[in-house]
Amino acid sequence: MPISLLSLPAKDLQYAINSMDVSDLLAFSLCSKRTKNLVKSSNLQILRICAEVDENRIYLGMFVFQFRGNFQINIEKTIRIGLCEDFSIAFEREDGFQMWKNTEFTFSYLIAHFLSLSNISTLLRLQINNMVPIGYLDTVKQQFSKCQILEISEGCSEELTKMVFLKLAPLAGQVEVGNNPRDVSNLLTLNLSTVLFKDMRHPLELKLDDLLNLNIYDLCVRNTVISANELNRFLQLWMSNHGFYRPMMINLRSDNGWDSEKVMKGIKYDNVDKEPSFRLKREDGKELKVANIGVCVMFAFL
Amino acid sequence: MSSTEQGTSSAAPAEPTTAPESAAAPEVPESFYYVHGKDKVVHKVSAGALQHSALIHGMISNLGYTEEQAKANPFPFENIDGDILQMVVDWCNQHKGKPTPPEDTNLPKQKEKLFDLVLAVNYLEIKELLTYCCKQVAMMVKGKSPEEIREIWMIPTDAEDEAAEKEAKKRAGKEAAGETAAAAGDAK
Repeated sequence: MPISLLSLPAKDLQYAINSMDVSDLLAFSLCSKRTKNLVKSSNLQILRICAEVDENRIYLGMFVFQFRGNFQINIEKTIRIGLCEDFSIAFEREDGFQMWKNTEFTFSYLIAHFLSLSNISTLLRLQINNMVPIGYLDTVKQQFSKCQILEISEGCSEELTKMVFLKLAPLAGQVEVGNNPRDVSNLLTLNLSTVLFKDMRHPLELKLDDLLNLNIYDLCVRNTVISANELNRFLQLWMSNHGFYRPMMINLRSDNGWDSEKVMKGIKYDNVDKEPSFRLKREDGKELKVANIGVCVMFAFL
Repeated sequence: MSSTEQGTSSAAPAEPTTAPESAAAPEVPESFYYVHGKDKVVHKVSAGALQHSALIHGMISNLGYTEEQAKANPFPFENIDGDILQMVVDWCNQHKGKPTPPEDTNLPKQKEKLFDLVLAVNYLEIKELLTYCCKQVAMMVKGKSPEEIREIWMIPTDAEDEAAEKEAKKRAGKEAAGETAAAAGDAK
């Protein structure tokens, strides 16, 4: 008489499941809702999930931990799952990738499935590498609903960087840009949480209007070019303006630095005790702290 | 090593033949017990080999059988197929008093046999053998896709699970309705 695995006594079933290899366990979790719940209560934990886009391929990297009794035999490894050009799935095994052609699982289903297996709600990082065709970005967008960090690699061209930013930044809690584009005006008006321009090689050219129209909650630029006069003008306009200004934090750094006297020229402020910073107060009660003027400057909107 | 013979749980078995003990046999004569499965074939097993089974070991400790009594009353395991019990007895004899190796390659590869063995070993509480069996079960799907795993382990799809659940609910409802009707009839 045939016997199915799920008819084994619960303890034996759990033991058999706990004896399985990580990638087998992940494949097993896809069989049904019941098997998914069994894997959820097994010795396997998905600690984080990241994705990487390379040319016409998307790879999901799952960092998993399998408890085997003690730290010497516990398993920590990354299992990769790829979406190929023909939409077949490449599933990483011990001896390489196994192709699932004409599979019932879509890539976006797999992402949602593995996220729900873990205790994390979103992808940690979505990394876009160079050589990704711009036309492929729509496919990428279809796969992911959200991610914590979008990383646009330094190898991406200016055009690709901008297109990735415009298409994918709204999905991310934080955007990290590795290659500063020359004109960022239309990027900075997007309603985003955190953006970090981390390119140290090419300074990001910021203009007064960029700061005035900024719609990013927390902006950090590691290498920028903007004059002290423009910063001063920005502060003056902020003081005289009574409208809503969304940003909460702007952190700028410049190789040349800024002269604090020039930046604060003509601005009414209070000195903050024991800190090299200035507190500005608008008539409508809004406050702004300007700190560390030198190589860096920080604007904190209180 | 074990020997088998035809018998019943109620009748005393004829003297089974035993394999020669090794040269370094213990000086104290070893006691033997008898077990049989669904097929009533009686297996003679040494107390040392039976140490592996927590269930039988507990039974022996509690019953305090003499060898004659044990011979007259083999432990009946009617829920275990004869060939499966034979495998279990062989394994217990092979691993008598030895440390258990990390792998055991002598376990059956056929799914039905392996699953029956798991059920038997679980019942007899033979921890080490259960570990091997469960590992062997896990190995059945090594490197397989979800579709293949479903087939190998006969895992129902979600749709099949839902249909089975509906059917079970329907059946339970009918049974409950039948019981209510019967109770009402009794009351009249």
